[in-house]
Amino acid sequence: MSEMNDPRARQPRFRGLEAGHRACQGCGEALAARLVTESAGPDVILTNATGCLEVFTTPWPQSAWRVPWLHSLFENSAAIASGVEAALKAQGRRSKVIAMGGDGGTFDIGFQALSGMLERMHNVLYVCYDNEAYMNTGIQRSGSTPHAARTTTSPPGKERMGKRHLKKDLLSIIAAHHIPYAASASVAYPQDLRRKVRRAMEIDGPTFLLVHSPCPLGWGHDGSETIQVARLAVQTGLFPLVELERGEVASVMPLRQRVPVAEYLCRQARFRHLFADDDHRAQEEREHLQALADYNIERYGLDGDGDDPFDADGADTIRRGGPANS
Amino acid sequence: MPIPMNRGAFALAGSSLAFKTGTWRSAKPVHVHAAAPCHGACPAGEDQQAWLALLQEGHPQQAWESLVAANPLPSVTGRVCPHPCESACNRGHYDSPIAIHAVERWLGDQAIQNNWPYPRLPGSPRPERIAVVGAGPAGLSAAYHLARRHYNVVLMDAMPAAGGLLRSAIPPTRLPRDVIDAEIRRLLAVGIEFRPRAALGRDITLEELRSEFDAVFLAVGAGKSRHWDVDGAVPADLHEGLGLLREWLAVGAIPKPNAVVIHGGGNTAVDLARVMRRAGVRDVHVVTASGLPGPDTDPDDVLNVVPRELEQAIEEGVQFHPHRTINRLIMRGSKVVGVEMVRLKKLPDGHGHKARVSFEGTETVLHVDMVVPAIGEVVDPTGLGAILNGRDFIDTDMFGTIAGHPGLFAGGDCRGWIKKLTNGTVSAAIGDGRRAAEGIDALLSGRSPMEASRPALPFADLNLAYYESAPRIALPTLPLSQRDDSREIEGGPDTSQALAEAARCFSCGNCLACDNCWTLCPDNAVLKTRETCSDGSHYLFDYEFCKGCGLCATECPCGFISMVNDD
Repeated sequence: MSEMNDPRARQPRFRGLEAGHRACQGCGEALAARLVTESAGPDVILTNATGCLEVFTTPWPQSAWRVPWLHSLFENSAAIASGVEAALKAQGRRSKVIAMGGDGGTFDIGFQALSGMLERMHNVLYVCYDNEAYMNTGIQRSGSTPHAARTTTSPPGKERMGKRHLKKDLLSIIAAHHIPYAASASVAYPQDLRRKVRRAMEIDGPTFLLVHSPCPLGWGHDGSETIQVARLAVQTGLFPLVELERGEVASVMPLRQRVPVAEYLCRQARFRHLFADDDHRAQEEREHLQALADYNIERYGLDGDGDDPFDADGADTIRRGGPANS
Repeated sequence: MPIPMNRGAFALAGSSLAFKTGTWRSAKPVHVHAAAPCHGACPAGEDQQAWLALLQEGHPQQAWESLVAANPLPSVTGRVCPHPCESACNRGHYDSPIAIHAVERWLGDQAIQNNWPYPRLPGSPRPERIAVVGAGPAGLSAAYHLARRHYNVVLMDAMPAAGGLLRSAIPPTRLPRDVIDAEIRRLLAVGIEFRPRAALGRDITLEELRSEFDAVFLAVGAGKSRHWDVDGAVPADLHEGLGLLREWLAVGAIPKPNAVVIHGGGNTAVDLARVMRRAGVRDVHVVTASGLPGPDTDPDDVLNVVPRELEQAIEEGVQFHPHRTINRLIMRGSKVVGVEMVRLKKLPDGHGHKARVSFEGTETVLHVDMVVPAIGEVVDPTGLGAILNGRDFIDTDMFGTIAGHPGLFAGGDCRGWIKKLTNGTVSAAIGDGRRAAEGIDALLSGRSPMEASRPALPFADLNLAYYESAPRIALPTLPLSQRDDSREIEGGPDTSQALAEAARCFSCGNCLACDNCWTLCPDNAVLKTRETCSDGSHYLFDYEFCKGCGLCATECPCGFISMVNDD
């Protein structure tokens, strides 16, 4: 097929991450990485921490990336990115550097390098694909795993109902670095995600994006439900979509409608033990997670009260019958 | 393209394309093209979703052309149809159904106002001549659909003007006469020869028609009132409902008793009740074996009346007595002084049918000085002797074919099943005329007649996360104090209302070009095309890479994508 007749070559969007990668069916992280690179455009250099994304995109000697991409170690994506950015600066080049990592490589193992990169004010966008556990190595708990979730290293049983501790509030830690822009986004809201990437790309300085990316394998849901699960995380208030500038909350996506957290939990095998009839701790933990969601809603003021309860900017409705039409 | 192995630990950009992840798949997404439920519910065969989509895209004339491809009388049906499409509308499960009848009416009125020409199908003139007997909705529809296919059509009617029951039985408060005139005049101008004052059995015979024409379509309607008595008793001054309504429409005269009871549960009964009430009759009772619409009423058992007409009638003071029948006439000599009503219900009879069971001990008396039956009509046998064979209706198949009479077709209210299944609505007659035209065309072209049918998209197959709630438009209604015998009671929508309503459509089963599948595929396996693909959408599945996760099918708002087994 000639280039002109091949519809793949004529897509009206930049393909930073090409087909043929080995991600599981319905992978949230693959979708997130595709959306991030297509919004960032071709003039970028990527660095990638060890993790699923690195493994499934580059089974040597192939690569699914269509932009310059480097992988070194689990802990040093931000350090490599800092070096690349400094080298580009020395050469007088202006390509944007994007560092990427999973929640393991960001919340835990690579956190020191990340903090250093932010503190030194490198012109780098750091994107963390948050699937809330070490999925690549077999679903071990990470600092990002939510409270009460089952992983292979936080199994529910007589002593505990899944993970004992809470999900690390990474965004607040990032905000404490006083960087120009940090935001959370979700694969369920691609328009909002793209807008946040473009916003970060414009800024000359360190920026940070936390993208909620469901893992069908680790969370225990069907690959066809990835978006549905991600959307519920936002609608329940468990994963608020917010933007922080210099540490201050600049905007939030209001909730279209508040959904009880049980709706989100019951779709995932990692929370199945929270629905055991004969265990009083199950209800206790469900209430705990509901309280955490309510805390987020209160803290960020997620109950929208503007004229447009649907948040024209973020919610990806198809605008059938909504305020834009009337 | 072979991938070079190298020692430099690098790979060529996008070289993963050599690895076809499509082999992982056990199910694959396909575009399904299910029908919107409004389409399936429409007796006339309109595809409301299709024309609402054209209007929403800003093409009102194309929307009207799509509409009249099935129903040539949208200004009429937009006013009088009980709109089963709206009852079927998936949006009814979400907030409230699309006001399809109002948009249909608006499109019809726009066509009249701007004189949009009725489109014809491509093709060349046909030599065959076809007679259509009866210029009511079924006859007009058949004549139009035949003329669209370039046949020579002669449409005849006993009355001086075309319209049939639209003129003789529907009050102008529901259907203004200038609307009928304008729409029918434009319709006949498509190239239909109209012969008024030609009644079957009086001016023409069936034999003459059979010898002069290649095919004959009988749309003579049901013009004879069904026989009515109560245990053999009939008042001396009996008038039946449709006759009274026709007389009132023709000359404006209506009897004015002190109190009247109308027996029947159709539009004739309700229209007559409202006319008599407005004429000053103090007590107007309607006794019907059917129920009033409500949460406890079986939808099959509801009064066969346009819902808003029923509401307006109750507003105007008509008294309804549902689930009752007239048990006995209380006579003084041959004059009625009252009726005895009894409660009844249609209940299963143990043989798979429903029978009317009246309940002893529930008798009540209404003091009235007039009883009007409006229990329906049967075919007037004049000129139809051999076809009717002593039965009340003509038997045909769905394309109007009468067994044993090749070249002879029938449709509309004169067919038995249409009365039973669809209660003889204008839209059902229009659908009948359209299918008969297909039957005639098939016969004269030597092929089998066809009627397309697609499965309807269930509400559960929509993804509601992508729709927003929006109120149905409110239509202007004449206040009670201003209603008279001639002014139209319900108004139409204005342009912005019609457009807003079209934009509320869920587009059930049909691609909205929202980009969701293209945007949300983690594997870059949905490709977008500039031109429309052969299946009518702008998206292609690249099965070389599709892993079959099903995300696109789950996130498609309108149920256009479905996963099928791919072993």
